[in-house]
Amino acid sequence: MIVKIFEGRDGHIQEKGSSALPLACGNESLAGAVSQRACVYSGARVVLNPLTDALHLVHGPVGCASYTWDIRGSSSSGPDLYRNSFSTDMKEIDVVFGGEKRLASALRALASQFHPPAIFVYSTCIVGVIGDDIVAICKKAEAEIGIPVIPVKSEGFRGNKNEGYKAACNALLRLIGTDDCVSKNPFRINLLGEYNVAGDLWCVKPLFEEMGIEVVAALTGDARVADIQRAHTARLNLVQCSGSMTYLAKRMEERYGIPYKRISFFGLGDMSDALRTVAEFFGSDGMMSKAEEIIRRETARVGPKIDHHRSRVSGKKAAIYMGGAAKAVSLVRAFQELGMDVVIIGTQTGDRDDYQKIAYIVREGTVIVDDANPLELKELLIRQNADLLVAGVKERFLAYKLGIAFCDFNHDRTTSFEGFDGMVNFAREVDISINSPVWRLPKKRTCRIKRRTEAQEAPGEELAAPSETASRVQAMAAGDAIASGGEDAPQLCDN
Amino acid sequence: MLRSSATINPCSMCMPMGSVLVFRGIDSCMPFFHGSQGCSTYMRLYLAHHFREPVDIASSALSEKGAVYGGAANLKQGLKNVIEGYGPKAIGIATTCLAETIGDDVPQIVREFQAEEPLARKVILFPVSTPSYSASHEVGYRVALKVAVQTMAKKSVQSGRINLLVGSIISPADIRYLRRLFAYWEIDVILLPDISETFDAPLTGDLPRMPAGGTPLCDIADTANSRATVTLGTSVQEPGAGDYLEKEFGVAHTPLPLPVGLEFTDLFAGKIEELTGLPLPKDYETERGRLLDAMVDAHKLLADVSTAVYGDTEIVLGLISLMKELGMKPRIVATGAANPAFAEAAQKLAPNAKVMMEADFSEIEHEVKAREIELMVGPFTGRRTARKRRIPLFRVGFPNHDRFGASRQLILGYEGAMRLVDGMANTIIENRDGSTEAYRGGSE
Repeated sequence: MIVKIFEGRDGHIQEKGSSALPLACGNESLAGAVSQRACVYSGARVVLNPLTDALHLVHGPVGCASYTWDIRGSSSSGPDLYRNSFSTDMKEIDVVFGGEKRLASALRALASQFHPPAIFVYSTCIVGVIGDDIVAICKKAEAEIGIPVIPVKSEGFRGNKNEGYKAACNALLRLIGTDDCVSKNPFRINLLGEYNVAGDLWCVKPLFEEMGIEVVAALTGDARVADIQRAHTARLNLVQCSGSMTYLAKRMEERYGIPYKRISFFGLGDMSDALRTVAEFFGSDGMMSKAEEIIRRETARVGPKIDHHRSRVSGKKAAIYMGGAAKAVSLVRAFQELGMDVVIIGTQTGDRDDYQKIAYIVREGTVIVDDANPLELKELLIRQNADLLVAGVKERFLAYKLGIAFCDFNHDRTTSFEGFDGMVNFAREVDISINSPVWRLPKKRTCRIKRRTEAQEAPGEELAAPSETASRVQAMAAGDAIASGGEDAPQLCDN
Repeated sequence: MLRSSATINPCSMCMPMGSVLVFRGIDSCMPFFHGSQGCSTYMRLYLAHHFREPVDIASSALSEKGAVYGGAANLKQGLKNVIEGYGPKAIGIATTCLAETIGDDVPQIVREFQAEEPLARKVILFPVSTPSYSASHEVGYRVALKVAVQTMAKKSVQSGRINLLVGSIISPADIRYLRRLFAYWEIDVILLPDISETFDAPLTGDLPRMPAGGTPLCDIADTANSRATVTLGTSVQEPGAGDYLEKEFGVAHTPLPLPVGLEFTDLFAGKIEELTGLPLPKDYETERGRLLDAMVDAHKLLADVSTAVYGDTEIVLGLISLMKELGMKPRIVATGAANPAFAEAAQKLAPNAKVMMEADFSEIEHEVKAREIELMVGPFTGRRTARKRRIPLFRVGFPNHDRFGASRQLILGYEGAMRLVDGMANTIIENRDGSTEAYRGGSE
C-alpha cells in the first residue's frame, strides 16, 4: 500500500512497476474524501468562458456565479464581456414557482443592455431539480432577440467535469457552421483546447502565421463568437487539451470531415512537434522547411536562457497534479527537458487510455494517482520527497505548508507557458520557486532561556480560572500561543 | 426594493460559504457540504484565494442517483470517511441548494448515522440548513454560529466568563487583536468563532489534518454558564446565538456593532467595562489617543472625500461611522444582502448617501457614475468598477483575492481604525496626479 487513508481508494494510487492491474479511474468521487474535482457546471464554464464577446448567463443561485466570476486567467485581445458575471440569482420564490420567467426576462434585459453576438445559458444543480425547461426558454428568446441563445446542460450533480466539457462542446456545436465565409488561405486550422491563459495563444499563433497558416479559431482562448461560427471552414483541428475537446474534434470530423491531431504547445519538443505535424499534414515542403527554420531559430534563441535554469533545477524531483491528462503528459516531457525527475503524477479526470500513456512515459517508481485528495497528496509529497508541485491554487498552499516549492499550471497563472518563450517562463518559475531562500530559513529559532509552560500544560477540559489568566498573559508575552485545550481534550468537557 | 431579473457582478455569496467561516473557527471542526462536489471545490478555491491557506471542505459528492433517490447513503459514507480520514472533534454539515431541494432530512440522517456508527459517537455532528438561494453568506454565517451554540451549549456551573461572539466575518488579525486585548485586560472570554490560527497558520513544515486553533468545544459548551454575552457585529443582523443563550440559559446578551472607528470602539470598550468593572488597560487608552492623532494628521486630506462603501453589512456600517468621524462623505453605501435594518441604520449614519441593498456592481457602478466619487472602499470584487471609473479602491474585507495580507488586515479597535485612516489616506495620495510631493509638508 502506498498511502492508506480512505477505504476504496487503493486502486486509484499505484507505483509504476509494482502493479499488474490498470489504475482505477473514471469513478464518482468518494464522498467525504475531499476530492479536488469540481462539478459539471465548472467543466462547462471553464471551456466556454474564454469566449470574449459572448454573454455567459448562469441560471441558478448567486453563489455559482460569484465563485466563477473572472476566475479564468484567459486573456482577450479586445472584448471583455466575458469577464463579467451574469446570473439569474434565483431565490426561494423561484425555486418554488420555477425560474423560467426570471430567466426569460433576464435574457431580454441583458440582450438589450449588452448587445452580445450570442448568449450561453448555464443550468446549475437547482435548475435540474426543479425542472426549468431552459431549452424551450432559450429557443423562444433566440427567436425574440435574434441572436443565438444556447442552453448549456450543466447541472452540477450530473457527473463530473468531463460531463461539463461535453455540455460545452455541444453548445459550441450549435454555433459552429453558422457562417460559411471561407478565407482564401488554403492552410486553415483550429486550435482546440487552447484557452489563452496568460496570453499563451499569443506565443503560439504567430509561429503558425509565419508558416503561412491561418488560425480560424482558437477554442476557446481569445475567441469571438464569429470565429467559432466559421470554425468548420478549417481543414485541420489541433487538439491540445484532449480531455475537454476530443469530443468536439470527433463531432467536427463526423459532421464536417475535419481530421484532428493531438498536439501540445508546451515544452520545446512538443511545440516543435506541433509545428511539424501541421506542415506534414498540409504536405508542403516549403512549409516544412519553414517549420524547421522556426524551430532552429527559436530553439537557438531561448536555449541559453533555458540552459541557465536547467543548471539550477536539474536532478530535482517534481510532482504533477492536473485537472486533465494532456497537460500532465506534456509536463513530463517538459521536466525531462529541464533534467528533472517526475516522482508523482496525477489527474482529476484522466481515463484508462490517459493513465496508460502516463505509465508509459514515466519511470519506474513514479506514483500515479487518480482523483487525489489533500490527505493523499500530502502523504505522497512527503513519501516521494518532492521538491516541487505543479498544480492549481487549491494545492498551492498545501505544498507551501509542507515547505515545498510550487508552480501554478492552472487558470490563475499570470505567466504564459506555451511556445518557446513560454518554456523560458516556465523554467524560470520552477527555478525561482525551488531555489528561493525562503525554504532554507530556519523553521525554529533557538531559544536559550527556559520557557514557562504552565499555560501550555493546563488541561484543556478545566475551565479557565481567573488566576490562569496571568499565566496566559505571560505565556503570550513570551511569544507563545495560548493553549486552547490539550491534545487529549474530549469533544465536550461534560460529556 | 424591486429586484431586477439579472444580477450583474454580484456583491454577495451564498449561505454555505458563511457557514465554513464558523466551522473553521471551532477546534478540529471539519466543514462538510451535503450537495454536489462542485460547491465544496469552488468554495475551497475561493477561500484559498483569500486566506492563502489550504482549505479542506468535505462533500457528500451527490450525483444524479443521489439527487433522485435521496442523498442519505452518500452523506453517511462521507461522514464516515471524514471521521476516519481527518479525525475531527466536530463536523459542521451545511446543506446546499441541491440537498435542500431534493428534500433530504439531514438532521434525521445524521441521527441515524450516529446510531449506526460507533465511531460517530465521539464526534459532534451539527447540521445547518443553508439553502444557497435563501440568503447571503452573512446569514449562512450567523445561522451556523447559532446552531453551533444550540448544539453544544450545556448548563453546568456558573463560570463568570464572558461570551464574546463574533457576529460577522472578520479577519484572523481582527480575532487575534480581540484575543490579545482580553488577555491583556485580564478578562476571561470565550471567543467564538476563532479563525485566528485556522485560517492563518504559521509555517512549520507540517500540515496537520485538522488545523490547530479554533474555539475549544469545551468552551462552546461553557457559553451557557457565562455571566454575559457580547456579540460584535450584530447591530442589523438577527441576534442569533446570543439571543438563544439569553432565552435558554439566562445569559444576558448585549448586541453591539463591530468596533470599527472611534465611536463604535468606545461603545464596545464601555460595554465591557460596565460588564466587568475593569477599566480598559492603559496601553489601549494610549492607543485611542494615537488614533485621534492619526485622524488629526489626515483630516484635511480626507475632508469631504466622497466615497462609495460596499460589502458586508456590519463592516460597511463601521466604515461609514469612521468616515463620518473624519469628515468624509459616504455618498454610496451598498450591500449585496437583503437587509432592511441595514438600510435604515446606514441612512441614519449617512443621511445624504444613496443606500442600496441587494445591490450588484452594475447598480453600484450606475450610482457611482452619477456622482463624483473619489474613493471606493470594500472587497476586491469592486475592482472592475473602480478601474472603469478610474477611482482608487481601498480593499477592505472578504473577499480579497488580488492583494496579499487579507488574513492580516486589522480593522477592529483603535489600532484597526488607525490602519484604516492611514490606508484610505495613502490610497488617495498614491492615485492622485502630481505624486506624493504635495503632501510631504504640513501645508496640506
